[in-house]
Amino acid sequence: MSHRSFALTAALVAVVAALSVALLAPQVATGQNQSSAPKATTAGKTWTPPRTPDGKADLQGIWSDNTLTPFERPKSLGAKEFYTDKELADLTRRVRAGENTEGAELGAANQQAVRYDLELYGFDRTKLRYTSNRTSLVVGPEGTVPPMLPQARERNAERNAQNKGHEFDSYANRPLSERCILMNQERIPMTPGANEGNLLQIVQGPGYVTLVHEIDHSTRVIPTDGRPHIPQNIRLWQGDSVGHWEGDTLVVDTTNFTNLTNYRGTGEKLHLIERFSRSADDTMIYQFTVEDPTTWAKAWTAEVPWTKTKGPVFEYACHEGNTMISTILRGARVSEAEAAKKGK
Amino acid sequence: MRNALRRAVIASMAGGIVLLAATLGAAQAPAYRAPRTADGKPNLNGIWQALNSANWDLQGHAAGKGPVASLGAVFSVPPGLGVVDGDEIPYLPAAAAKKKDNQANWVKLDPEVKCYLPGVPRATYLPYPFQIVQGPQNILISYEFAGAVRTVNMGAPTKAPGDSWMGWSNGHWEGETLVVDVTSLMEDTWFDRAGNFHSDALHVVERYTPRSADTLMYEATITDPKVFSRPWKISMPLYRRVEKNAKLLEYKCVEFAEELLYGPLSKKPSN
Amino acid sequence: MRTRLLVAVTAVILLLAAVPAWAHHAFAAEFDQNKPVKVQGSVVKWELTNPHSWIHIDVKGNDGKTVTWMIEGASPNNLYRLGFTKESLPPGSVILVEGFQAKDGSTRAVGRNITFKDGKKLFLGLSEAESGPSK
Repeated sequence: MSHRSFALTAALVAVVAALSVALLAPQVATGQNQSSAPKATTAGKTWTPPRTPDGKADLQGIWSDNTLTPFERPKSLGAKEFYTDKELADLTRRVRAGENTEGAELGAANQQAVRYDLELYGFDRTKLRYTSNRTSLVVGPEGTVPPMLPQARERNAERNAQNKGHEFDSYANRPLSERCILMNQERIPMTPGANEGNLLQIVQGPGYVTLVHEIDHSTRVIPTDGRPHIPQNIRLWQGDSVGHWEGDTLVVDTTNFTNLTNYRGTGEKLHLIERFSRSADDTMIYQFTVEDPTTWAKAWTAEVPWTKTKGPVFEYACHEGNTMISTILRGARVSEAEAAKKGK
Repeated sequence: MRNALRRAVIASMAGGIVLLAATLGAAQAPAYRAPRTADGKPNLNGIWQALNSANWDLQGHAAGKGPVASLGAVFSVPPGLGVVDGDEIPYLPAAAAKKKDNQANWVKLDPEVKCYLPGVPRATYLPYPFQIVQGPQNILISYEFAGAVRTVNMGAPTKAPGDSWMGWSNGHWEGETLVVDVTSLMEDTWFDRAGNFHSDALHVVERYTPRSADTLMYEATITDPKVFSRPWKISMPLYRRVEKNAKLLEYKCVEFAEELLYGPLSKKPSN
Repeated sequence: MRTRLLVAVTAVILLLAAVPAWAHHAFAAEFDQNKPVKVQGSVVKWELTNPHSWIHIDVKGNDGKTVTWMIEGASPNNLYRLGFTKESLPPGSVILVEGFQAKDGSTRAVGRNITFKDGKKLFLGLSEAESGPSK
């Protein structure tokens, strides 16, 4: 089971999902779940969102994307793209009862559980839930990220090889998330976990949509005036985003990533297209398509329902309180000194 | 005789009224009325930037030598008239000594050097742009430096559950002015590179008033009874970034501070 | 036909096997699982910081000496949403901590499990448990 999208972030907000679940109905609403890939519309009744003062679809609010739906489809399910309501209810019941299953992904709960008894922070397994009938967030007959091209495998292997044996030499050898440069839960495209507080606050002003991720206070101020991307030679960790409206759907196009951003092993040719549309008062469908011709032979798409949740989003100043790097490096120096004393 | 007197009285009264009207007219040129947003509020949307050396020193100061000899004039201290009303920052005696110490050791102590979030009001007059995005319930202010951001609650005021670097902001309108009340600020931020500091009792009230199509007047009243003997105020214009497609760019400065913060913990090359 | 799913009966807390290698690695890089810690102490300070919060506690050793330990907790942000504030854990509150010591040998530990003397878990037990002397 691939957990690469849930790389270690030393302390994620553990249980907002559980709390937001507590505020919402435990059963998955059936109306919105039969969306066909890859258009981000719901089959059946369409819902008209309220408008911002300047007439755009109102996406504002505080949203959470926690779900048990795994990112990639379990192999055993083959081409099965949707669970029936009964299958989903059964799965939900088993996960809540404590079973660990391929069909459910606990995301950051896994990493945190090593560190803390999550119940201290409000984790309530009985409130975990699926937010759609999908068997995986990645849509389509395969439901998996395409296999990596050989050149990408080589590129990543070479990078890992360079770091091998030097993982604790310096801050530069540590992961971006540990350095509070780019935490995994602030990355785009945005991907969820079961109980992490991947809270997103959306504020819209004329000509702009602003997304603020709670983790590392990651802010994207996206112009919707149809302007072009910034010059090619300016590379940014989170790339450059430009947006436009297609009816009530916000479409955001992002390029200009650095060659070190390394989302799932990609290079600087990473191109991300995100679509945001509200399908109900408390639901926003987030659909994204990822392509990088130097990493995958074809683009792939995932779809994640976001649910309105109670805030507030609170400041998450990662770097200012970062003790991880210093503790880890100091620990490595202590281990080396001890090993040297033993005459190794 | 009585008619002449009455005419004189009336004439002098009229003259007085004209004089009064002229005086009032001169002192009170009509205030600028900003265009409105679609929901009827003064429109502060846009990318803004301060143009002064307040981040070096809030008070008036001559040019000075920079901290790094090899950078010569490049990182020297530019002069500035100062942005403090009355040019005095009213420190309590013990705090005044701490300010002196801060200033003498600012390279080591200034949180800006470590790429820490700048706090309020410093974020406003860092020499980098920031963007105001006005939603109906919240006004978001995104700062280029260190990706600092804050959300101003425009609904009924709420209380902060805890302290933060950028504080807790509740806002409301007073005519043309956006008034932002900022509390629960952590004590670890500074006001400038001259060592001006505060405690966790800091309370800032900001006022953003449109001054013309492309300028705002910014005022911040600072109250901190643990550090200052009375409230004091800074004010400065903010200028709109008018170039086409002006955009805040990523300024994730953590990388640039890591060698300073963690360099000594790196593995020493073995012989 | 019912789809068969692979099911392993494992409690969520014992997910060590499921944790990807590098994630576990970072935890192991910070804290030493060969140095378990079990201390009881009174709260001196609660730092509600990110990415981790820190509870400073004074622990009285068998030798009568008091040592201050820094106990690492998770992000406080969700605790805020659950209604806790910095006043919720007053100085003087007595807590029991189980965890692992920092690899650099300092008196720091990750607070894997934190309870009050009556066994009620921190933080959700805060509202019901006795707190320390009033502020």
